Amino acid sequence: MSPTLDPTLGLPVVYLVDDEDVVRDALAWLLRSRRLLSEGFGSAEAFWQHLVTRRGGDAAAWPGAPVCAVLDVRMPGTSGIELFERLAEAGLLPAMPVIFLTGHGDVPTAVSAVKRGAFDFVEKPFSNNSLVDRIEEALQRSAAELTRRREQRTRARRLAELTERELEVMRLVVEGHPNKRIADELGISVRTVEVHRARVFDKMEVKSAVELANLLRDAPA
Amino acid sequence: MPAAASKHRPAVAALPAMPRVRRRLLLWSAMFLLLLVALTLLVVLTVRHEAGRAQDQVDALAAEASAQLRSALLGVQQQLQALTAQLPDSAGWRSGALELLRRHRALLRIERRDAAWGAVQSIDSPAAPPLFAALGRRELDLDAAAACATARRTSSPVFSRSYFVPEAGGAGQEVIDLCLPLQSAGRDEGFQVATLSLQRLLAEALPADQQRRHELSFVEGDGARLARSGARRGMGVYRADSLVDLPGATLRLRVDSVAGPPSLIPNLATALVLGLSVALFALVLLLARDVGRRARAEAALAEALTFRKAMEDSLITGLRARDLQGRITYVNPAFCAMVGFAADELLGRTAPPYWPPELAAQYGDRQAARLAARRPEDASSREGFETLFMRKSGERFAVMIYEAPLLDGQGRHTGWMSAVLDVSAQRRVEELSRQQQERLQATARLATIGEMASLLSHELNQPLAAIASYASGSLNLMAQPDDATPAMLHEALQRIAEQAERAGRVIKSVHDFVRRREQLRETIGVDLLLEAVLPLVRLQARKTGTAVEVELGQPVPRVVCDRTMVEQVLLNLARNAIQAMEQGSDPAARVLRIRVRQTHERWVTFYVADAGPGIDRELGARLFTPFFTTRREGMGLGLSLCRTVVEQHGGAMDFDSPVPGTRRGTEFRFTLPAARPARADADAPPLTQATNVT
Repeated sequence: MSPTLDPTLGLPVVYLVDDEDVVRDALAWLLRSRRLLSEGFGSAEAFWQHLVTRRGGDAAAWPGAPVCAVLDVRMPGTSGIELFERLAEAGLLPAMPVIFLTGHGDVPTAVSAVKRGAFDFVEKPFSNNSLVDRIEEALQRSAAELTRRREQRTRARRLAELTERELEVMRLVVEGHPNKRIADELGISVRTVEVHRARVFDKMEVKSAVELANLLRDAPA
Repeated sequence: MPAAASKHRPAVAALPAMPRVRRRLLLWSAMFLLLLVALTLLVVLTVRHEAGRAQDQVDALAAEASAQLRSALLGVQQQLQALTAQLPDSAGWRSGALELLRRHRALLRIERRDAAWGAVQSIDSPAAPPLFAALGRRELDLDAAAACATARRTSSPVFSRSYFVPEAGGAGQEVIDLCLPLQSAGRDEGFQVATLSLQRLLAEALPADQQRRHELSFVEGDGARLARSGARRGMGVYRADSLVDLPGATLRLRVDSVAGPPSLIPNLATALVLGLSVALFALVLLLARDVGRRARAEAALAEALTFRKAMEDSLITGLRARDLQGRITYVNPAFCAMVGFAADELLGRTAPPYWPPELAAQYGDRQAARLAARRPEDASSREGFETLFMRKSGERFAVMIYEAPLLDGQGRHTGWMSAVLDVSAQRRVEELSRQQQERLQATARLATIGEMASLLSHELNQPLAAIASYASGSLNLMAQPDDATPAMLHEALQRIAEQAERAGRVIKSVHDFVRRREQLRETIGVDLLLEAVLPLVRLQARKTGTAVEVELGQPVPRVVCDRTMVEQVLLNLARNAIQAMEQGSDPAARVLRIRVRQTHERWVTFYVADAGPGIDRELGARLFTPFFTTRREGMGLGLSLCRTVVEQHGGAMDFDSPVPGTRRGTEFRFTLPAARPARADADAPPLTQATNVT
């Protein structure tokens, strides 16, 4: 079994997009037997519509939980490949890896899709449990992306709470200057520096200068 | 084929033109020169001969005249001698002298003188005026005296030198004296002197006719003329001198012909020679002109021939000429290149090697028919006709032939000229497009079968995939069972059952499809079936030069079948047969045989046989297996589908290799249900065809 996902991220969802109801239902049931939630869509259009309403105006907030999409390459109307292009354009791919289901003749198309950022493709007829394994891996990736985003958001929120003087003090602290030197630099007393420093640590929810530096290193300057 | 072509090149002289012309000019001028010299010589010789003859005549005449003169003078001398015996005073002398004077007209006077040169007696010729009338004798007797002195000395008659006696009126004549001494007993008694006229002597010296044609004259040593006689003056061209020796004096006699120098024209012989020469010259000139014209014509002809040759060689149209016996008399390089045979291999042949052996008999008949149509316009075909030739390599190719009668210079029909166009490239393009058409048609026909297969796989795939998913999921659940597991398993099994049922429905629909096609079965004559297929088969056969033989039983069998499907089977088998013969087999042996025969009351058997390499046992065992193929691009469904179709009709399919009764090839057989005879059909209930359901 794959490593369990961070429960704080919410319940993962697998989107199944296939025009064959029977196949979709059977796959959904199979996922359920592996304790995975799925939502099925009969066409690319229906799925796209669902995404638009679900995301609403807040692009950054979606998805709230790890997701992945399983697309059939061949579908009446919009094909799986076209749908994939649309997802890539909307910038959804990092958070929602895409796995293709391909028939005999579509392998080259699927390979080129993988080169352009699809997570994987699985040839029909597929081996059921290995497909589920790949889906779980895709969900892991989605989870990692969501985690990264959440950390980024936290950091931004905390930085926003700092005053100007606190930001100046924090920059110098992270650069490794002692309090005395910082006091000289800013033209304030060492005591004042110490107060600012303690407040920065408090707001940034860190306990040491090293921890603070680590937190800021991941962030863009 | 340059080597072959050169054989028929007209014999144009290889020599450069300039030296040839110069040489001819040299020959001609040499001939002219020689002719000129010879003719001139001939004329000159003729003229000279004429002149010589005239000269000889004159010479002879002169000799004759001189002899005549001499004898005449001597005769006169003798008679005068006889007269000396008479006394000068006697009448006898006088009459004798007179007699002499009368007889000899040349005698002008006879005198007697005494020893002291005194004149005794004289008598003048009565036929002439007195000689010394103008001038006295005494003044003119010096010559006579000198002669007499000599005569006395020698005691023999002596002639004096000639001298001129003037006459009254300014004229005069030259005379000569003859002095005879009179001696008796050694004593001089005087002389008898006779005076002779030279002019009269001359007049008697030659007969009258000669006198008319010649001038006679006595001349002195310096050429001064003393006396002359003759009708006309001589021309001084033919002239002969002769001396008349007389005692005491010598006279020079000259005969001068009145004939002038030989003139060219009036002279017959010369004229003849001259005329001939002129004629000859004219002839030679004409000949030269003719030769010149001929040479020009020859050059023009050579140029025309070269031009024609170049034209023929540059043609891409093949040219072939045949005589009335059908023998090939001419081929151009393009034709040789087209058929791949050298000209040597074609000329003189009646059954040329480019006739495909299997068609040679047919072509021979056609040629015989054309030759039988004696009148050219009956057989000439401006529209041309298409036929099949064979290259040396054995490859057949289509040609377009346009034939026209070949007429000689007199307009006689001597054979046939054919223009041959290679239309194989054009045919190939046509065939290609037709083949594409055929492929399209075949694809369309096969589409029903292919569609069925594709549909089947897709329709069965879905339920089977679903069943597999439910089964896997169930196993997952049972590995970690919890409270919800039985309910989920129940659902899964239900789904599995549903999907299995769905698969069953798919199978049933296939069955329905087959039934649908069965309902399309009709009763059809085998000839109609083959008619639909043969054009496509022949097309493919022609590409490889394969002959197609079709044999239908009599009466033509009728079968009950799904026409489209059976046509597919026939096409498939025929195509396989043709392809089997494509490689390595002798083109002449490439024969596709399609036979149809009613072998049983209820069955009609189709045979499709090739003459290819055959099928070995190992291959044969797998032949009808689906997806088995020997061709790279083949799907391997052909034969297995064929068998399926046949078996759906209730028939059977089989093959034999080699073909029974031969050593090679493969024969495929299949049976189809025969149509009931018309009467039985009418009696049977409408559902009869349902009996064919498998």
